[in-house]
Amino acid sequence: MDFIWGLVQILGVHTIIGLSAYVILLTGQVSMAQAGFCAIGAYIAGMLTVLAEWHIIPGMLVGGLAAGALACVVGFPALRVKGLMFTVATLAFGEFVRLFWFNFDYQISRGGFEIGPLGGEGFRQIRFFPENGWSTLEVAIFVWVWVILIMAILWWMDRSRIGAVLRAVGEDELAAQSVGINLTAVKVTAFTIGGFIAGLGGGIYAHYTTHVEHLNFGVLLATFAIAYPILGGLRTVVGTLLAVLFIQGVLVEGLRFLGDLRNILFGAFIVLAMNLRPAGFIDARVTRALGRLFRAERGGA
Amino acid sequence: MEIEIFGWTLLDYFQTIVDGVLYGATYAIIGIGFTLIFGVMDKLNLAYAATALAGAYFSWGVGTQIPLPAPVAYVISSIAAGGFGYLVYLCNFRYIPSGAPLASLLATVGMLLFLEELIVHSTQGMPQPYPALFDDVMLEWGDFGMRGDLLFVFCLCVLATVFLLYVLYRTKLGMATRAVAQQPVAAQLCGMSVQGTNSTTFVIAGAIGGIAGAMIGASVGILSPLLTVPVTVKGLIAAVIGGLGSIPGAIVGGLLIGAFENTFQLLRSVTERDMYVMLLLFAFLAFRPGGIFGTASRHE
Repeated sequence: MDFIWGLVQILGVHTIIGLSAYVILLTGQVSMAQAGFCAIGAYIAGMLTVLAEWHIIPGMLVGGLAAGALACVVGFPALRVKGLMFTVATLAFGEFVRLFWFNFDYQISRGGFEIGPLGGEGFRQIRFFPENGWSTLEVAIFVWVWVILIMAILWWMDRSRIGAVLRAVGEDELAAQSVGINLTAVKVTAFTIGGFIAGLGGGIYAHYTTHVEHLNFGVLLATFAIAYPILGGLRTVVGTLLAVLFIQGVLVEGLRFLGDLRNILFGAFIVLAMNLRPAGFIDARVTRALGRLFRAERGGA
Repeated sequence: MEIEIFGWTLLDYFQTIVDGVLYGATYAIIGIGFTLIFGVMDKLNLAYAATALAGAYFSWGVGTQIPLPAPVAYVISSIAAGGFGYLVYLCNFRYIPSGAPLASLLATVGMLLFLEELIVHSTQGMPQPYPALFDDVMLEWGDFGMRGDLLFVFCLCVLATVFLLYVLYRTKLGMATRAVAQQPVAAQLCGMSVQGTNSTTFVIAGAIGGIAGAMIGASVGILSPLLTVPVTVKGLIAAVIGGLGSIPGAIVGGLLIGAFENTFQLLRSVTERDMYVMLLLFAFLAFRPGGIFGTASRHE
């Protein structure tokens, strides 16, 4: 059973990371820095609970805020460029953050053990959950409370004026600008929110794996982050969740019986999926069809 | 008395920068490939460096079956990478609507992962030896020396670039490529096949990438799956520093990165080296987004 709950935790954390990229994608920007923000959240939350012995919730929030603040600071210069250049800039920034932690040592001695992050060795023994006797099920519930909270907020945001503004910028910057939307403010806000959410995700990630190292936050994770919302479609937050279930649940866990072949097929499946559904699983046609379905049901009742 | 800066003499710096520039030629080629494909498609092909290295791996694989002299291995690498380039075009660009740039971008990432895993699968993830030429030659002037194999790598990369420029600016094919890059609709109206030109561009870019892949293997001495992502990122940096879409820019960008990373490696360490390279790129993008030769880019 622990395996199942472990998988449920992974799905939850990846959903959070996917949602962090979703917010930024709404404004039409592809950020490859989400893995970097995730690393910041993971290391800071880990250091707070391990070295300063904080509770996990304030630790995660501070980690998230730090990642969000950095995203805000970086967002101003980075968002001067658009589209592909922005993608490359964030790719470089994400790799910079990863390499920063690769070279970062801060260890203190406690009870005869050296604890804290140690460069390439990574940050071991982030044992908040085991020390406080949380079971795998309880951790899984904790993760999903965060997932549902974040999804609910983004769902509400999507349906509010904020969502409309973000999408307006994503669809057509010139049109958005000409109705008086401040492009820089909107994009930097989205980038900051994305950084904050990624930081929260990193905070949880560090605690359920109990060990993080810089390699966890490489280009692969950054790719996953943007792959979920793109594969799921940008019409609704549910698309991201579906894509996480498809990639992590089916492609990564479900194909485990294929052994080595699974890793090869993984890339091929992404290529295939994008060829078949270029606008994602849930594209405009699916949302319209679903909308009709719900209206028909209501009409019949 | 020798002048020392941060503990190294000027000659040390000169040596480091020259070595870096020579190796930077490989980044320059990868950068040209990114720029070329971006020029005709207006899209990034993130699988490009992976195809280049896959070509080199292919020639290594052939080499394990029948013993190959190094030059033949390089040619096979180039041809194989051209083939991989065509495959990338078919899978990631041909059938995905041009109005869905995100889909193509993500598909090329899928392709990158696919090729990388294919390499890991066929080599059990172990680094493999790759043949070099002139690795026993050392040109020396006093304390200053030049590694023969690096010099060869540099010269071959220059040749590949000259060949590419010849194709682009002196042949009908190159004229068609440039026409499609500038005005796809007008080019089509003049009777050029846009898809044909695009696929040819992918093959040509792949073929010179295969040479770069082989040269990376030859100058490092080994091929490793760990090379894919750094080469991708540094090739992108070369293309971006020079201004995406500009071939001379990519050349200068690649050589600059080679020099910078080697200098940082001398001053700090190999683990910190890439961190500064990334920061350099970020600073460049944020404050000079058009690149060194940048006019305001028409592609945004």
